Amino acid sequence: MDELFGIPAQQLTRVLLGVFAAGALILAALAARDRTSFRMAVRNIPRRRAQSVLIVVGLMLATALFSAAFTTGDTLTNSLRTQALENIGRVDVVVIAEQPGSAQPSAAAAFGAGGPAAPEARERYFDGDLVGKIRERLSDAASVAPLARETVPVTSPGTDLSEPRVDVLGMDADSMQDFDRLESASGETLAPGDLGEDEIYLSTKTAEELGVGVGDEVEAALFRPTTEAEGEMPSERGNRQRPAMPQGPPTGFEDGARPPGSTGEARAARPAGQERPPRFEVAGVYESGANPGSDTSMVMPLGNLQRLVGEDGRVNEVLITHGGPAVEGGKHTASTVDALRPLLADNGLEADPIKKDALEGADQMGEVFSTLFVLFGQFSVAAGMLLIFLIFVMLAAERKRELGIARAVGMQRSHLIRAFVFEGALYALAASTVGSIAGVGIGWVMVRLIGGGIAGEDFRISFSTSPRNVILAFCMGMVLTFVVVLISSWRVSRLNVVRAIRDIPEPDRRGRTVWGVIVAVLVPLAGAVAFWQGLATDMTAFYLGGLSLVLIGAALLARVLGVPDRVAFPASGLILLALWLTPASITTPAGMARGPEMFFVSGISIVAAGVWLVIFNADALLWLVVKVFGQVRGLPPVLKTAVKYPTESLFRTGMTLAMFMLVVFTLTAMNFIQAAMGAAFGNAQRLSGGFEIRADAGYAAPIPDMEVALDDAEGVQEGDVRAVGEVTNLPLEIRQKGTNRDLQSLYVQGVDGGYTGNVGYGFETTTEEFGSAREVWRALQTRKDTVVISSDLAPSRNSSGFADTEPPVKLTGFYAEDAYLPDDLYLRVKDPDSGKTRDLRVIGVLGSSAYFAGDVVTSRDTLDALAGRPLPPQTYYVDLGNGVDAAAMATTLEREFARSGLQTEVTAQTIRDNDATRRIVFVLLRGFMSLGLVVGICALGVIAARSVVERRQQIGMMRALGFQGGQVRLVFLIESSFIALLGIGVGVALALGFSGTLIENIREGIPGMEYRVPWSALVLVVVVGYAASLLTTYLPARQASKVYPAEALRYE
Amino acid sequence: MIERASEKMAQEEGTDTLMVEARGVEKEYAAGGVRVHALRGVDLSISRGEMVAVMGPSGCGKTTLLNCLSGLDEFDGGEVLVGGESISRMSDRRRTRFRARKMGFIFQTYNLIPVLSAVENVELPLLVAGVKPKEARRRATAALETVGVPEQASKRPNEMSGGQQQRVTVARSLVNDPAIVWADEPTGALDSETSAGIMDLLVRLNREQGQTFVLVTHDVSVARRAHRLVRMRDGRVEGDEPNGERGQDG
Repeated sequence: MDELFGIPAQQLTRVLLGVFAAGALILAALAARDRTSFRMAVRNIPRRRAQSVLIVVGLMLATALFSAAFTTGDTLTNSLRTQALENIGRVDVVVIAEQPGSAQPSAAAAFGAGGPAAPEARERYFDGDLVGKIRERLSDAASVAPLARETVPVTSPGTDLSEPRVDVLGMDADSMQDFDRLESASGETLAPGDLGEDEIYLSTKTAEELGVGVGDEVEAALFRPTTEAEGEMPSERGNRQRPAMPQGPPTGFEDGARPPGSTGEARAARPAGQERPPRFEVAGVYESGANPGSDTSMVMPLGNLQRLVGEDGRVNEVLITHGGPAVEGGKHTASTVDALRPLLADNGLEADPIKKDALEGADQMGEVFSTLFVLFGQFSVAAGMLLIFLIFVMLAAERKRELGIARAVGMQRSHLIRAFVFEGALYALAASTVGSIAGVGIGWVMVRLIGGGIAGEDFRISFSTSPRNVILAFCMGMVLTFVVVLISSWRVSRLNVVRAIRDIPEPDRRGRTVWGVIVAVLVPLAGAVAFWQGLATDMTAFYLGGLSLVLIGAALLARVLGVPDRVAFPASGLILLALWLTPASITTPAGMARGPEMFFVSGISIVAAGVWLVIFNADALLWLVVKVFGQVRGLPPVLKTAVKYPTESLFRTGMTLAMFMLVVFTLTAMNFIQAAMGAAFGNAQRLSGGFEIRADAGYAAPIPDMEVALDDAEGVQEGDVRAVGEVTNLPLEIRQKGTNRDLQSLYVQGVDGGYTGNVGYGFETTTEEFGSAREVWRALQTRKDTVVISSDLAPSRNSSGFADTEPPVKLTGFYAEDAYLPDDLYLRVKDPDSGKTRDLRVIGVLGSSAYFAGDVVTSRDTLDALAGRPLPPQTYYVDLGNGVDAAAMATTLEREFARSGLQTEVTAQTIRDNDATRRIVFVLLRGFMSLGLVVGICALGVIAARSVVERRQQIGMMRALGFQGGQVRLVFLIESSFIALLGIGVGVALALGFSGTLIENIREGIPGMEYRVPWSALVLVVVVGYAASLLTTYLPARQASKVYPAEALRYE
Repeated sequence: MIERASEKMAQEEGTDTLMVEARGVEKEYAAGGVRVHALRGVDLSISRGEMVAVMGPSGCGKTTLLNCLSGLDEFDGGEVLVGGESISRMSDRRRTRFRARKMGFIFQTYNLIPVLSAVENVELPLLVAGVKPKEARRRATAALETVGVPEQASKRPNEMSGGQQQRVTVARSLVNDPAIVWADEPTGALDSETSAGIMDLLVRLNREQGQTFVLVTHDVSVARRAHRLVRMRDGRVEGDEPNGERGQDG
């Protein structure tokens, strides 16, 4: 992990290490000067070993969470790196014809959002002489090898099996010396130079898919044109003769132009008159080494492939390796790319730093996950901080008497602070050490789950963690814990000697202390500043967060001014709840931005309000409990005692309640979002636009008219297919008209009438002239030079904010949430091949449920006009008749069009698969949040353990009065149950209310989200949370029930 | 000598039934790794309605004896009969129930439950014994009146003076009408005036309600108010004699 929240991890580690070292040195110096305080601290730790262990466990949770998040990121990064390098091997840079820009990995990708990528393009060939020039430019710094690559269908005549997409690599054996060797499963090296004219090597996977072995024959759809094309390449890229198709090329290939994204070049298209593709004998099967190729690949000598596709002396890739280990090789990439840039630019080529990109992509994905988990784990961290504070407040309460005596015999407040700080620092040291290491294990478990979810069985987890990240987690945990320890130590030191010795509670001064008044004044002031800042910057988090602080401060001020707590705090809590449970569209001015930080701000505010409401009405609640259960035989004395303690220690109870509520609230809200998104993504009909099957023909053999082809297909019966939408793709250079931005390369989809007449996608907003989505689609088809764009390209008021990568083109001047689009919204698009430029009017912004739609969609006519030629379709959307099995039909279509390399997918299945990834990520996020639940449970354990010590004499007295051991146990369990159930119950209730608002807000961005109560998840949270808290309390409760009365009464 | 004093007391009180009978009670415990022989074969009989004071220097075993006789602590040898029942043969559960029904306790540090009000503290033994909450509250309120602090009913222990707290403790010890009340240093934390007031109360209750009282004390003025004075030293009963002031009560 290189960055955390945008801060370089190395820098952060150094700063925190510096803070830690400075703190440790200061403490060491203080310990040397004040040995008494240090001795008190050290000797206090082993006094109650079990409690000390519990404290360390409680303190370590925040650190463990950091460490787990970093380990998750590291392991994912490493796994993705390993995976990326498997298909790249020693190849560092690949020279290819210029390509449209590619998207960066984003959180959206992590969530499995977004539809399939644009179909692959065939790479344009260029003069092989360039290889020599490249070699000259790089001299000895790198090895260079020419490569021809075609992706075509391959069939086995013997088994009648086919593989629609096989990378056929034409390798020059002499140049490949410094690259990866082809190796068979037995370790034998296979040399391309040994192959005869009709021989090839197959990858293990291709051989398996085709059911062939050494000596068998396969056919690859590679064709050599018989006539030469007339004219020249229309673009600046190809000043050379173009071969023509033997008997007229298929639609879209007439001029031999490259229609990337949807079609290959003319020569590779299957000529109508040629019946059989060339046949080859399998000379060997390799396990690895055909880089950079996919798992399904085939290798032949370069010259053979060039001859077969009519590209003698030409190549479409140049491989460059810097040698050395796989990862290290990527280091020289920048200098290589720089050195080649002038040469390549002159020839319409580019150097694709594939290894560097792959490694950076992997790193970036790892960072996205680390940040995501840390971000969503902040609730657990907040709960952890509360626990640390609570632990030290309770430690102080336990030692109140001895602290009073220490003060009485002359120890200054500073001595007490030091003693507590020493002790806290020792606990923090142990906890941060254990936590940072335990987090590695938690991260490992998390990432095992992610692996299966993200990429299925093909994704292999390569566990990794770096000492730096463990150190960073340690430092973050240590520094945070220490800050809380300092604050609580200062609080502890402010005791009254007499009251401490006599164990008399401190009087309630109702906030009328210097600090109390300062806080009561500063909080609303800070709120007012934040509120103003929110208005100025249009940030909802500041706006509502500021208002919340004003309300909280108002309660504190009212208290100082003498308003009863029972009035001030619940009143403030009620208004806070009303503020946050009302949809933001009502409570915030129009146009305010809402990001993921809202989740945290709203969570904290709502929980604070909930705690106040409950705590200041706890007696009423408990009265009700006693009324209801007080009639049960044997319960009255138990209930009477059990319910009194929580109301007596409002601070302690409030803190524990806050922990429980915070975690349960966020977990429940997360479950609601998951359920709502499940509803959104579960509606395959809506997401697929009504098309059950999506099919892509390989560029080598497109199907010019799918409807006609379907009529001829034997396996497809009349009525099986209701409609077919055909889509072409063209990479164009785009910018918003009226802006001075650079042109950006982006694929544009051209859709036919079959598509626009049947697609069911709706729009977030359209120009004012349209009354329905159908009208927009009709206009797109009938009006020239109109486009609709995806919601990604439109600015939104509800930007999700975090980890989203901006698309190459982002429009301005309107919002997707606006009622209508401006009438003068145009895209200026240029086809670099045809040189034509047009202004296309944006008439609609697609809803985000348009899962399979492209970024920019226009009509085929418009796209053909831009390209200056009819483009052949490559993607087909099939609307099936009633009762037709989509999976079976998809298989049928693949079989019928195997020669075209048709690959199909059932849209509902694709959506389900991607949703599975999103679900797994949600499960992991909930897992991280659940660590907070552990914090709450630990808090109950600490409180119960502490209570047993604190009430030892009282327990003895109760036993003397006739309480049975079981009744004493029950007192503790009921007390914990009260806090746990109240925390869980109110947390769930608040989340029930809040989730409605939250989903209402998110629904603007993700239509189809529904408010669904995730009952099973809720029951799990409630049952597991409560059962775990009971279990944690049971041990101390059992210990209490074993207290022998005489011993306890004697105990001081 | 001890037996004679005891018999005399029983006859004087008009009852020949023994409330407590201890035979050869032995108790050892470990303190800081050292075995302490706290009781070395204590024999003691206490009659119904009798008020007995146990005195002796610190560490002589007074409190340990009280704990063993009342069933708060277990002992290693001998036998204790309370109301004719052997508490050493009782299970913890039965002994606890026995305590709840037959005994009341008063301690030097009051040991009131701090989170409960005075009346709630007093009614607690009744609730434990299964008395209905309404009835328990009525009897607790009456008990507070009996000990002279009805106005403290809704106050928490930390809102009361030591004397008031001890009166509440007395009310709690008597509210379930126990056969015997054990008091460990009942006036140890009180000033002399308050101490005298508490002792007046205990003596009055002993007279009017006929409950047996066993007081452990350092205070001679407290001991003087009992019928009998038992002196202890080194875990043994060193003397057992009628008390000068009340010893002749009859």
